[in-house]
Amino acid sequence: MTDQSHRPDTSLSDCVLAALDIVVLEWEEGLREFRLQGVPPEWWSQCVGSTIRNSLDLSQCSPFLQDYLGGIHSVWQGSPGPIEKSGAWTEPDRQGGTMTLEARPLFLGPRKLVLIERLGSDFEHMRSIVQRARERMLAEDITAKSHRNTETRLIGQLEASERTKDDALALLQQLGLAAIVLDERGQITFATDRTLEMLGCAMQEILGRPWDQVLSFRKEDRLLIQHLLEGSSKIHSSGPLCFEGASSKWIELGIHRDLAHTGRRILIFNDRTEVHALRQALNEQASFHDLIGKSPAMLRVYQLVRDVAQVDTTVLIEGETGTGKELIARAIHSSSARKHKPFIAANCAGLTDSILTSQLFGHKRGAFTGAIQDQQGLFEAAEGGTLFLDEIGDIPPQVQTALLRVLQEKEITRLGEAKPRTVNVRVVAATHHNLSEDVLRGSFRADLLYRIRIARVQLPPLRDRREDIPLLAQSMLGQVCAATGKTVERLHPDTLRLLMSHSWPGNVRELKSAVEFAVISCKGNEICPMDLPPEIAGATVVPSPSVFIPLSGQDEKTRLLAALSEAKGNRTEAAKRLGISRATFYRRLGEFDLASDQ
Amino acid sequence: MIQKKICMLGGFAVGKTSLVRRFVTNVFSEHYQTTIGVTVEKKTVMVDQQDVMLMLWDLYGEDEFQHIRESYLRGSSGYILVMDGTRKATLDTARLLQQTVVRTVGPIPFVSIINKSDLQSEWEIDQPAIEQLREQGWPVFFGSAKLGQGVEELFGCLATMLLSPASPPRTCL
Repeated sequence: MTDQSHRPDTSLSDCVLAALDIVVLEWEEGLREFRLQGVPPEWWSQCVGSTIRNSLDLSQCSPFLQDYLGGIHSVWQGSPGPIEKSGAWTEPDRQGGTMTLEARPLFLGPRKLVLIERLGSDFEHMRSIVQRARERMLAEDITAKSHRNTETRLIGQLEASERTKDDALALLQQLGLAAIVLDERGQITFATDRTLEMLGCAMQEILGRPWDQVLSFRKEDRLLIQHLLEGSSKIHSSGPLCFEGASSKWIELGIHRDLAHTGRRILIFNDRTEVHALRQALNEQASFHDLIGKSPAMLRVYQLVRDVAQVDTTVLIEGETGTGKELIARAIHSSSARKHKPFIAANCAGLTDSILTSQLFGHKRGAFTGAIQDQQGLFEAAEGGTLFLDEIGDIPPQVQTALLRVLQEKEITRLGEAKPRTVNVRVVAATHHNLSEDVLRGSFRADLLYRIRIARVQLPPLRDRREDIPLLAQSMLGQVCAATGKTVERLHPDTLRLLMSHSWPGNVRELKSAVEFAVISCKGNEICPMDLPPEIAGATVVPSPSVFIPLSGQDEKTRLLAALSEAKGNRTEAAKRLGISRATFYRRLGEFDLASDQ
Repeated sequence: MIQKKICMLGGFAVGKTSLVRRFVTNVFSEHYQTTIGVTVEKKTVMVDQQDVMLMLWDLYGEDEFQHIRESYLRGSSGYILVMDGTRKATLDTARLLQQTVVRTVGPIPFVSIINKSDLQSEWEIDQPAIEQLREQGWPVFFGSAKLGQGVEELFGCLATMLLSPASPPRTCL
């Protein structure tokens, strides 16, 4: 029983091998071949075909198995060590698919075996895990590469953008453009160097601050800018605005919408200070206060007025009627330190001494019939300011005396009062007389003349500054049109020629009257010769050098005599040559006591 | 007939199996299926009017999951190092594998190929790196298993080298 029970049960071992799905090959040293042990699994025949007497024909095996079995003797003959598996290999099966096998050597005492197994579900599971892991690594690699590419692209774009920004900034700075950028809240996000220079501050001092806290504009200008900033159009411009920085500047402001960011605004400042100053100087040259003219004679007058305004002396303005003596007086006042005090103008011509005295110095109630209450005079009314006494050559002798006292003592005494009152008034006097001759004739006090003629301004007659006539006429045309509501734009060249050739005995006043007449008469938008007053329109333009060459330095008397001489004593012809009417010519001769002589 | 064992070596997913399939059966599949273990394919080529049977051992890709089993290399006559031009790391893997082969079987003939030339715009392996390989004596091919470019030349060159290892063909260099 015992022997029988230990006898090998070949059928059992076959069943076990079949159940393990393993091929067992044993090396037969004597036959020098591998022999199959037991019943092989079904897949084995797909690998090697049929096996004759269990003997393995290596030439029928796959290259891998040949290689492995061929080299396994070196494993068996080698020193004891780990038994080396073949590793997995793939064999085609007969259904056109593949199967994965693995072999291992085995020692059983002296018996040398090779076990070959087909790798099944565990192997496939492991394969799928590796497959997924590698696919994930590839995907991550692609993602990382994509990120690197994106990063590289973005860095490139950023660098390009930085370069563009630097270039634009360099260009901007090179242009010297003053500009700031405002965000949606009106806070400054950028300013050029020129702006910082203009503001006199550093970038960090203004960044993030509201524009109206940084830019010192006048209130009305700030409101205007705010209005423009809130507007929707792409470009606004305004100015010149006065920028009250470390030094005041006149700027033209351009407000642009940032097309890339709707809420942002770009403000560009164009410094127009120099242009403004030049324009002012030009305007000043063409006009001074309300005086118009840029002839050398008038420029000398403007300078004289400036000089006179700097001192507080009495001034005598001399000039023909209509030359603008009161305008000069006002200009002196406006340019002087007294400009914020009253300017009182009084015409002394044709007034009796009592009326003039009362007007100038005031009176006490009851001082004369009709003096029903105390009345201050013009001196008191002009306290601190300027009193303009026009036609001073016409004031009666008694008033001259009183006036002299005022100028000497700085005191006035009201009519009917005994107590003098101190006054602080600058007197500017004017006359069309030759006061020196009046002094000689005894009609004007010499001491008063010297007192009022400390400074003198002589106004040229219009005929001595004919080059100012176009400017004056155009200015008057604008004024008259504004007053009358008519739209007359210009003067016809022939009209201008007539105006230039007229002698203008009434000076600027006469010219203005002529322009008013012409505007009223004008039916179109251009003043033609026929629109002028008849004495001007009817004059023959005779370009005689003897008449029309400026006669600066000559007085009117000389000109009358010269015209008479050239006309060989013919007064009508002489009047025509002078561009004045015959009646005016006669009157002028009378004024100069020439009527009988000639 | 002369038989030569050639191992296909390289990192995972560089296209070893695709190159072998393109060479043996002229087939290409876009679907990536990782190789576990080894698959042996055969193809006979004519070299110097001799038929040579190339036994192409398509080994699994080298990575952190699978390292080369030196027993696979034994008996090799030559080998092909495959790199993926779009992944620079596969060049480093190829260098390591080359050292492993030299250590295991000695300085046997080999060629290398930078695969996926159809994606050349995405290549990470740049010209200086390629020049460096050539300076170290690597025959470097460019090719695409997908397009079939450079495949025949690759295997043909190695077959030629196997028969006359002392003088590799000029075209291989």
